[in-house]
Amino acid sequence: MLKDITIGQYFPGNSLIHRMDPRMKIVLTFAYIIMLFVANSMFGLLVGILFLIVTYGISKVPPRMILKSMKPIVPIILFTAILNMFFVSGTPIVEFWIFKITREGISLAIFMLVRIVCLIAGTSLMTYTTSPIALTDGIERLLGPLKKIRFPVHELAMMMTIALRFIPTLIEETDKIMNAQKARGADLETGSLIQRAKALIPILIPLFVSAFRRADELALAMECRCYKGGEGRTRMKILHMGLPDLFAALFMTICFAGVIVLNILL
Amino acid sequence: MTGMIRAGHAYFTYDDEAEVIVNALEDVSLEISSGEFVAILGHNGCGKSTLAKHFNAIFTPYRGDVAVNGINTKDEDKLYDIRQNVGMVFQNPDNQIVATIVEEDVAFALENLGVPPKEIRERVDEALRTVGMYEYRDRAPHQLSGGQKQRVAIAGILAMKPQCIVLDEPTAMLDPKGRREVMKTIKRLNRDEGVTVILITHYMDEATQAGRVVVMDRGKILLDDEPRRVFSQVELLKDIGLDVPQSTELIYELRKAGFPLPQDILYPEECVDALQKLMEGRYGNH
Repeated sequence: MLKDITIGQYFPGNSLIHRMDPRMKIVLTFAYIIMLFVANSMFGLLVGILFLIVTYGISKVPPRMILKSMKPIVPIILFTAILNMFFVSGTPIVEFWIFKITREGISLAIFMLVRIVCLIAGTSLMTYTTSPIALTDGIERLLGPLKKIRFPVHELAMMMTIALRFIPTLIEETDKIMNAQKARGADLETGSLIQRAKALIPILIPLFVSAFRRADELALAMECRCYKGGEGRTRMKILHMGLPDLFAALFMTICFAGVIVLNILL
Repeated sequence: MTGMIRAGHAYFTYDDEAEVIVNALEDVSLEISSGEFVAILGHNGCGKSTLAKHFNAIFTPYRGDVAVNGINTKDEDKLYDIRQNVGMVFQNPDNQIVATIVEEDVAFALENLGVPPKEIRERVDEALRTVGMYEYRDRAPHQLSGGQKQRVAIAGILAMKPQCIVLDEPTAMLDPKGRREVMKTIKRLNRDEGVTVILITHYMDEATQAGRVVVMDRGKILLDDEPRRVFSQVELLKDIGLDVPQSTELIYELRKAGFPLPQDILYPEECVDALQKLMEGRYGNH
């Protein structure tokens, strides 16, 4: 049951976007976020929506996935929208008690709502089309220059890789420990919140002990394979930018320019 | 080339500061030649894993020396030469796989050694083919069975092109099918690729497949001979709490009961032959 959990939200595929260099995807995602915040009119956001339609179309990620990624942030979206609706001054449309809804409020609320939805959909596209390992790789190389100021880039990437590697292993182990404790009469499902939290202790302690033991053994195995940190290390897979990356960058630039032009014109 | 790994009067202890030193290794002298298949036997805590960890400089003896290809393991400048030459596979395959993709994991050691990317690719593919895991190169480790994971771990070592592989109870956590897969791989490495294999085990039937068996007890080497001669000493082995292969045991008990059987039976087929001969002699051929 716990085994079915997938890590990240990678949606395997072989589209042009899947094959893009993870570095370019990260950079473009940031550019897209900035673009959404630069846009100061509904028309600017329309460019953002257009961008999403085109990229999701190419990626072949089914649109229902967008809805799935939206689910956890529905409260935030609603909260922002309602806040904007009530607290923006302007020409009132509806008035009751101390509240009033203004025309400006409504348009701003819609504007914010669209912006947040675009933001989530855009960043989700990156995680849908990039495997966690490629993402780690991309981050490591993008942060490469920071090594000069002694920022532990390689170490961070290594930690992320190991964490990703051990998530399924530890989930499986948690499952086993839970079953073992249940077999001994542990009650994990009933009782108050505090009682249930307390019931987790006999699961967490063996899990931690075993995680430390694993860490110890892994460190030994890594030493046996000549691991000595990031220095002098090469990589089997070399990232390289190709034609799709160039086109993507170009498309992003055009969209961004469009947003700026719209900002000036309107 | 002989004497690839050489231990001379090595002593090792885990508790340096204790007043009474309990030696995990005591006066161990051993020489392993290139191309050998050596099994190290012994029950838990006899020092067999400790000895194995001396072969690639994880531990160094406090007295005596261990040398690999003539390089003393205490020589820290040559540490990575030694570790590259003597690869080590551990018991739990889950705890030695670093990367989230099979081929990335096999590449790990080569990346550490700074091998150029193109060569890494070639050596990774070769290592994966050798252990028969090439078709699984894109999989995540957690999608594999125990035996398959252990073979990936072996490939990760093999990619370094070591002269010698030390396997520390590589089959202890596997099911019978996984055990067979791993043993087959190990034997093939030794026979076809000429890799020196040091197999630490407590399974007797695995030890019988080696060319030489070293029996350890309480940090000392008790026996060091070919399997047939080691396992013919049934009483000595039982004294230190070890079993003997089932066919040897059967013949031993029959001999004790007074049946005229040869002493040095090791494999089931031999056992069947010997028993058949005995029956024919006794009851005639039906």
